Amino acid sequence: MTDLLKTPLFDEHVKLGGKIVPFAGYELPVQYKNGALKEYTAVRDGEAGIFDITHMGQVRIQGKGALNFLQYVTTNDVSKLVDGQVQYSALLNEQGTFIDDITTYKIDDENYYLCINAANRYKDVVHLQTEAANFDVTVTDESDDTTLLALQGAKAQAALQTIVGFDLEAIGYYKFARGQISSSGGIVSRTGYTGEDGFEIYIPNSIAVDVWNALLEQGAVPIGLAARDMLRTEMGYALYGHEISDVVTPVEAKLMWITKLDKGDFIGKVAVEKRKAEGAQKKLIALKLVGRGIPREHYKVFVDGEESGEITSGMFSPLAGGGVALAYVKPEHMTEGQLAVEIRGKQIEAERTKTPFVRSNVRK
Amino acid sequence: MSIPTDLKYTKDHEWVRIEGDTATFGVSDHAQEALGDIVFVELPDVGRSVDAGEAYGVVESVKAVSDVYAPVAGEVIEVNEALEGEPDLVNSDPYGAGWIVKVKVSDNNASAELMNPEEYTEFLDD
Repeated sequence: MTDLLKTPLFDEHVKLGGKIVPFAGYELPVQYKNGALKEYTAVRDGEAGIFDITHMGQVRIQGKGALNFLQYVTTNDVSKLVDGQVQYSALLNEQGTFIDDITTYKIDDENYYLCINAANRYKDVVHLQTEAANFDVTVTDESDDTTLLALQGAKAQAALQTIVGFDLEAIGYYKFARGQISSSGGIVSRTGYTGEDGFEIYIPNSIAVDVWNALLEQGAVPIGLAARDMLRTEMGYALYGHEISDVVTPVEAKLMWITKLDKGDFIGKVAVEKRKAEGAQKKLIALKLVGRGIPREHYKVFVDGEESGEITSGMFSPLAGGGVALAYVKPEHMTEGQLAVEIRGKQIEAERTKTPFVRSNVRK
Repeated sequence: MSIPTDLKYTKDHEWVRIEGDTATFGVSDHAQEALGDIVFVELPDVGRSVDAGEAYGVVESVKAVSDVYAPVAGEVIEVNEALEGEPDLVNSDPYGAGWIVKVKVSDNNASAELMNPEEYTEFLDD
């Protein structure tokens, strides 16, 4: 078995009573001593939660060919980005299925920064470096040098402002700024995956512990993987390995909004156009259980008694007051037919709903 | 870690309180802590017979689904319906308000395989 990696904050997690589990090649806390529900509640109820997401990867794209390169390897229209803006996007293969979903940060015309999923890091970097051979661009994996924190919740801005040397109020949604953070430099973006106002903070490993503890002193509550997944699922956000993977295209995953077929050539475009014309093989829907129970990943979904697909993410949502899930079903079942989820051999009635499952509080 | 002295325990971290021919089942403090926040409890139907060691219900935490096993055989005569609305009673009061079912014991010697509190303490320490 490959040795698991530790983030620079590993000892802090242990000190805080973090229950450590293996996740995407790292040893990370699934929850701290007060439990996942209290962590979840802190973020939803107006506090600030702090997450160690250092396992996510960072790749710097530099050179005169940066824009052309990114237009070719990502699905979204990078030409629309202004300096200091972040864009949700994806890397596809020639089959039009996902290599990864990513965020693209534009520093300037010749400098971009990609944030990628931990589990896909080496695959993504090899893919990007291979494609870079045809462009005037360098691809640098900076993941090992960078600590990434997310600070999410209504009090995030006030807490973070105490250690940041620039005005956070000026950073709009999906925008970022660079400058002094604690005793070093870094990047702060108004992004996140919880549906609450908040930030993602890129800093050098050398100041990770100082920044983490400074934010704890400001009242930020440490949040583990379990609560992070609850917050993510309540928003209905796709997660690689669940809703998106190398067996689905943006047509199935309802991610055509980040797939700009009119921007020029890009990897996977032809395959996506073909899939779009032929129609999706399955469609992602959001559902809520009417009956009692908790829908979980891989549980089967039935429509009018016929097996139609399976759940990709599911959970008990405290705010929705019951079981909620994302699931793939046959295209004809996307809007028609009575839904049920099979839980331990019993069919539990469900209904289609919209995402987010709960109200979003992001600051737009 | 609380291990009340008036109960018996199983290797699956269930507890049982036997009073006359009625046995009350629940999960131990150790089990609830290991499971984390309980968000759903699936209770059996009253009248169902269970064998010792048989799964009679399900306890679900935020991340995990766990069967609960009958410490002794019997017929379910009462279920803790409060858990339908407040499954977290299993976390907050595992030996009290977080009890799961009561059964009418069908075998008087059924408790022979159970651990007393001292044995369960040792079992946890191993």
